[in-house]
Amino acid sequence: MAKILVVDDSSTVRDEVAGFLKKNGLDVGTAVDGRDGLAKLKADSGINLVVCDVNMPNMDGLTMVEKIRSEAGNKTINVIMLTTESSPAMKERGKAAGVKGWIVKPFKGEAVLETFKKLAG
Amino acid sequence: MITEHARQSLDRIFQKAAKSRLIVDAADTCDIRQLTDGDLPAVREKSMVVLTISSIQFRLLVILHVDETPAIGSYFCRNAPDKSFDEIFFEIANLCCGAINQDMQRYFPDLGMSTPYGLSGRCAAFLSELRPGHVARYAVTINRTVHLSATLCICESGRIDFTYEEPADQEVSGELELF
Repeated sequence: MAKILVVDDSSTVRDEVAGFLKKNGLDVGTAVDGRDGLAKLKADSGINLVVCDVNMPNMDGLTMVEKIRSEAGNKTINVIMLTTESSPAMKERGKAAGVKGWIVKPFKGEAVLETFKKLAG
Repeated sequence: MITEHARQSLDRIFQKAAKSRLIVDAADTCDIRQLTDGDLPAVREKSMVVLTISSIQFRLLVILHVDETPAIGSYFCRNAPDKSFDEIFFEIANLCCGAINQDMQRYFPDLGMSTPYGLSGRCAAFLSELRPGHVARYAVTINRTVHLSATLCICESGRIDFTYEEPADQEVSGELELF
């Protein structure tokens, strides 16, 4: 089964998002920041969708996406940002890095579930 | 210099954000009272959660003063009793500040927001050392039983003037914008 990786430094958000997706039959893993997210991606080639915060310690979400894209094997992984940030400049940076979509928190699972399922393949 | 329009706008933006993001359930009530601007009372709470919204023109500190009393703990943790109060409240503060950031971005497109950090409540007494252009303090009461307070502290490097108008398309959070 295709896997989704939820990357957020808040365990409240990780548990909320991952719990909702698991409850709806999806295979979900979690990471606590961008650095941890990159390590989990390297260790698990079955991840098709990354749901990622922007502001995190150690490595922020957009830097993580840029690093994902710079590695040859990761060109097709879909990335959705889930963040309190909504600035056009941030979104442009995300687009340039190959982010597929943007959600401004709070997370409303029912509104995005079907799209997540499609993107997770 | 921060104009009266900008002060009132900041007040409205904060109150709107707090009323929608500091509550756990949509049916909860949230009453907010701004304390007098001139002689602000000392902060009673022993802890505070701070977030910063920064632009080229200013730095805004959004501070939530809170202690984990039984009433506060049981209110904020009621949907996740296995989690620590700090973890839950930091995320609530993050969402509240994020809503402020989102509204202010319409007037200041270069904004950046910090992650939340915790400080001793005693630090509040030293806010004046930042030489802020404007400080506002609020008493927040949720469901008439949960009491906390908040401080907005803005340090400017130029003239800040804007008039907040509530957007017609209110709720953009939670929706997926595909690129």
